[in-house]
Amino acid sequence: MKKKVLSVLLSTAMVASMLVGCGGSGDTPAAPAADNGGSQDTASAGDAEAPAADNSGSSEGVEEITWMFWDDLNATEDLISIGYRETVERFNKDYEGKYHVNVVTTNLEEYYAKLNALVAAGETPDCFIVSPGPNLDVYVDPGVAADLTDYLKADGWLDTFNGGEGAFSQQTYDGKIYAVPLNIAAACVFYNTEMFEKAGITTMPTDWQGMLDACEKLQAAGYTPLTISAGTAWCLSMLAGYLCDSEGVDLAALDSGSASWLDANVVSATNKLVEISKYFQPTAAGDTNDVATANFYNEEAAMLIQGSWAIAQINGANPDFESKCGVFAFPGTDGRVIAKSDSLAMSANTAHPDAVIAFMKYFTDDTAQKYTAEVGGKIPVTTVEYDASKAPAQLAYVMDVFGNAKSTFGFYNESMATTEAGACFDDAMVAIYLGTPVEEGLATIEDFYKNNVWNK
Amino acid sequence: MSKTGKKKSKISTKIIYVFLSLLAVIYLLPLVWVIYVSLKDDKTLFVSPWALPERPMIENYTFAWTAGKLGTATLNSALVCGVTLILCLLIGSMAAFAIGRMKWKLSGAVMTYFLTGMMIPVHCILIPVFTRFSKMHLTNSQLGLILPYLTLSLPITIFIMTGFFQSLPNELFESACIDGCSIYRSFTRIALPLSKTGLFVTGLMTFVANWNELLLAMVFISDDTKKTLPVSLSKFVGPYNTNYSQMFAAIVIAIIPTIIVYCMFSNQIVEGLTQGAVKG
Amino acid sequence: MDKLLRDKKAIVVFVAPAFLLFTFVLFIPICQSVYYSFCDYNALTKPEFIGLGNYKQLFTIDRTMKIALKNSMFFLIFSVVTQLIAGLILAALLTNIKKGRDFFKNVYYLPCVLSSAALGLLWMFVFTPKLGINQILAQFGIEGPLWLMDTKGFIILPMWVIASVSLWQYVGQSMMLYMAQISGISSSLYEASYIDGCTKAQAFRYITLPLIRPMVATAMSLNAIGSLKFFDLIFNMTEGGPNHMTDVLATHLYQQGFKYFKYGYASAIGTVLLVMCLIVTFIINKFVKVENYEM
Repeated sequence: MKKKVLSVLLSTAMVASMLVGCGGSGDTPAAPAADNGGSQDTASAGDAEAPAADNSGSSEGVEEITWMFWDDLNATEDLISIGYRETVERFNKDYEGKYHVNVVTTNLEEYYAKLNALVAAGETPDCFIVSPGPNLDVYVDPGVAADLTDYLKADGWLDTFNGGEGAFSQQTYDGKIYAVPLNIAAACVFYNTEMFEKAGITTMPTDWQGMLDACEKLQAAGYTPLTISAGTAWCLSMLAGYLCDSEGVDLAALDSGSASWLDANVVSATNKLVEISKYFQPTAAGDTNDVATANFYNEEAAMLIQGSWAIAQINGANPDFESKCGVFAFPGTDGRVIAKSDSLAMSANTAHPDAVIAFMKYFTDDTAQKYTAEVGGKIPVTTVEYDASKAPAQLAYVMDVFGNAKSTFGFYNESMATTEAGACFDDAMVAIYLGTPVEEGLATIEDFYKNNVWNK
Repeated sequence: MSKTGKKKSKISTKIIYVFLSLLAVIYLLPLVWVIYVSLKDDKTLFVSPWALPERPMIENYTFAWTAGKLGTATLNSALVCGVTLILCLLIGSMAAFAIGRMKWKLSGAVMTYFLTGMMIPVHCILIPVFTRFSKMHLTNSQLGLILPYLTLSLPITIFIMTGFFQSLPNELFESACIDGCSIYRSFTRIALPLSKTGLFVTGLMTFVANWNELLLAMVFISDDTKKTLPVSLSKFVGPYNTNYSQMFAAIVIAIIPTIIVYCMFSNQIVEGLTQGAVKG
Repeated sequence: MDKLLRDKKAIVVFVAPAFLLFTFVLFIPICQSVYYSFCDYNALTKPEFIGLGNYKQLFTIDRTMKIALKNSMFFLIFSVVTQLIAGLILAALLTNIKKGRDFFKNVYYLPCVLSSAALGLLWMFVFTPKLGINQILAQFGIEGPLWLMDTKGFIILPMWVIASVSLWQYVGQSMMLYMAQISGISSSLYEASYIDGCTKAQAFRYITLPLIRPMVATAMSLNAIGSLKFFDLIFNMTEGGPNHMTDVLATHLYQQGFKYFKYGYASAIGTVLLVMCLIVTFIINKFVKVENYEM
């Protein structure tokens, strides 16, 4: 008993002294080491495991790297995430004794918070997933992400990508590539072919009026024309993004301040959003992304505007629905399609660049890319040949949409000056949908830009 | 009391019972509902949320427990809260003993210093502690969680224990002193054993508060294998889809241990926590 | 004896661990936080002193801050008032019954010990249009409101919903505090009053209420501070949405600090929160001192 008390006291004293040691100077690299050593002898401090940094220390000749990802690989039902898990397992098996990757996962909500915490602590994961756009800017500007151009050009890796360097347009800064895309998802309109038939719609809408007519016909036939989520703000904002783009809203001009959020084209796009919102399911305001998608595959609504990642979810939840599910490009956008890719970046300070590059290559090799198309239902980034009959039926339609696209653009909220600006846009669109007058809603974005973007 | 008065009070008692029972239903129904939907699958959940499950989906629980790492999370919570509890009682009552029983000039000032801690919301220290700890590699480790939990639990512990120690009779310590008992021994052998109620009350408050703590745990821990229960719940919200029925199972797993312990010791817990709050 | 109790070394040994922890994990960070609130400071940059810039933006430009302040004040008032009334009523009813008192008491207290994170998720699902209450209402042909998404009115519906859930969760505590105090009142007082022809309601008004006033102050200060710190329920029920309409100071701080990494700005919000907590404690403490003589 006495001994135990003593050890507890000791550990407390140790913790206290450690805190004292760090209190004044801020950064004392010796402290963590002392902590890890000390806590193992004391019963109290239950934490003998070293934080992620220790994983990079190569102990028995095996180079250990960490990869940070935004979904729990073991708990996930998302087919793309499951594919990543298989890739990780394949890599660890093939390179056994040489390289080993440890995965740090969070949920998407907290992902960037955790990543930044690690970066600030000087423990940047060797490899991390990131969305192109302002999220990637954050790591490129202060030199957290490594320049990958030379690695890509060294052994023909770059040439395996569909479109060569063109595949990297969202990941390139001043001619240098900072991240490797893994797959592409395109935002399309999914529709219930049966309902369209019964409503007497034979040709897919190609312009805004056609879209409204289709909605009108569907409603007349007794169907809910559109299911969408305003509870998950980015879903509504994706539709708003399409509408803004088709009105010719220029995000770059908005960022620089040469255009205004109160300009006629933004107002007109937002009015269109209000116009179509009367065809939404009545619970749209409260429905989350999942519920909105469920409305579609449970055949309670005729159309769903979603990214192609939803294919896996739709077919997974209701396999019978695959044959009834059609896809067309969002109408009236003049051939422009919203595309999003998951990308991998490498820490500029990694001690094991070769291991990281080898790991990245596993994501873009034929096995992984085939899986992406055949199982995951996303568009592969490489020129891999895959068995179209194995892939979900909808993928072919999405590929058509993507193939016919004249150009692509990113998620609206991920293409703005900062992530907060994107969130501000999302929120304003939800507010307008919920009844805030258009001008007033847009004024909140205008104010945000005045105070946070244009004055910097 | 007159006869009519009795009759009247009987009716009013009945009304009181009806009211109290209805309220009890409002308290228990959501808990029953969550157990019930946790046994359904995702598909039928949305189609008919109030219909009985065709077949109880026990898989939801095994999935949440293993793949969702709720098992690990429960262990983590137990470890973090257990260690915090022991350290808090020890360190807290040590300080309380010095403040409540020993004679020194600054004891009042030190007590006030500790008491100000009760007014400080955890949000205010979140950023500095987080940045400091991440530099010291203490984030993402259980120790990094124990330290702030411990510190935030200290004021109430010291406050309550000081009261307890002060209420102990002087004679006990005097006779021990005559027997040649050192100050440390009189703390461990006399003061502590005589303040079991106080230790129970403060321990209970500390444990319940830390067991349910979300904000610090969410900010500090990113590694799945180190997450505590309240944080792990959020994991079922995936990037593009949420596993609803498993989420319900997770909620059940998160609250069931507390409910079981509560059912076994409800009177002591309710009385203990109330006592603590009264003193606080 | 006296010498033993004045043993300086022993005092230091006893107080040092708590004192050091307190200083380094609570006191210094508070000071740092106040300092950061005057800085431009992001996760990946060093703090840079900018004076009152953050506060200026907070109080003149930030729309969300206005909403958060309004909502926090609403919570403060709502929880202090409703917990007082509901807690007193429950305590009065429970002390007046014999059978099942423990059962009811324990049921009402139960949510106090459960995780508000889990309960927040649970209630979020109860109020989801596709799952919970609205589905029951639909059985009776009633179209339920958007409990957590409606944005009309000065205090919007979701705020009332969340406030009610928090009342549901924590009223047990107020109830217990009042019960503890009521059970301490000598029964002879009541008997005497009944002999004098007092009704139960009158006895409650003229005996119980005055005698439990000090406890009212205690319970109020617990509720007030608790409602200012309010985070878990909101975070898991609405995350401050839609369009920040349900943000309170704590959620606004979390978003600014850990979603957008504006550490300096979030520290300014934290400082405002701290000042509010101190003011509320101060006001209530004054109130306690005035009332204490009655005991």
